Amino acid sequence: MVYWLLFITFLKIGFIGFGGGMAIVSLIERDVLRYGWATEQEFVDMVALSQVTPGPIGINCATYVGYTAGGVWGSLLASAGIVLPSLIIMGIICYVYDHIRDRWQQNPIFVWVMRAIRLIVVLLIAHASYILMTPASFPDTSSWVVFAVVLALCLPDIFVPAKQGTHLKKTTQALSHPIYLILAAGACGLIDYLWHNR
Amino acid sequence: MKNRQLFSLFLTYLKIGTFTIGGGYAMLALVQREVVDKNGWLDEKEFLNMMALAQAAPGLIAVNSAIFIGHRLAGWRGVAACVMGAVLPSVLIVMGIAMFLVQYKSLPAVEAVFRWVRPAVVALIVATVVKLAKHIW
Repeated sequence: MVYWLLFITFLKIGFIGFGGGMAIVSLIERDVLRYGWATEQEFVDMVALSQVTPGPIGINCATYVGYTAGGVWGSLLASAGIVLPSLIIMGIICYVYDHIRDRWQQNPIFVWVMRAIRLIVVLLIAHASYILMTPASFPDTSSWVVFAVVLALCLPDIFVPAKQGTHLKKTTQALSHPIYLILAAGACGLIDYLWHNR
Repeated sequence: MKNRQLFSLFLTYLKIGTFTIGGGYAMLALVQREVVDKNGWLDEKEFLNMMALAQAAPGLIAVNSAIFIGHRLAGWRGVAACVMGAVLPSVLIVMGIAMFLVQYKSLPAVEAVFRWVRPAVVALIVATVVKLAKHIW
């Protein structure tokens, strides 16, 4: 039954999803493709919409996938499923945190566990981007040009030192803003379409 | 915490959930403005600790931070208020778009827009990989 499957799948993703939105999107991608809730191409569209709509990307993505697979109830169950583990785990952490406070940061085992988790998270996201480079999403050279331009706009911000308020940082931050980049790409697509259908 | 304060906590998170585009990290900027600068519910150091915990725990950073702040300010009822506020706008807006888009997905203009958006999204994910790889250590 699709409702149960949706709820359980997103519950699982909520429990094992370290690293926030994009890392969780990579986990959602795997199950969406496995259960055939959407094709790779449809999933990229969902990710795009999740990024340009308000709210946490993971919730947006869960709601969208849930709606596609199981309508209104599907979207509610998927969102509930992804939030529930947070409530349990973060609830426990908040409770424990009051007792141990600052000691955590110095514990070497904790530091190494966190490093390992971060490495896994980065590899997961890299894998997700690789899977999304399908011929359907990259039909011709122009797609790779768009890809290269967007990446080129994002990279400076990553390597400019994060001193808030300098002119250079402000510029690179503005240029690499995901919403503007997605909206600009969409606007180019619309212009392209109108130009070819004059 | 009284019901009225609980409601203002809910409204604050409803505002954060409705007006931030770009996910958890983008939301944190507004959370910081509302929670630290405007209302003084947490100081800067506590806010940083909250961010670290919200990122270290599994789940969505935005939801985790809402849980932390709700718990700190008003216990479990605060958690309920903040999480509802953070999640509701997302679910309603995306559901609306999903219903609407199903009907228009086959329009050539919509398809043309997505033809350009898709590689841009993949590039953004690759950029995220590079950005996060810097902070593994």
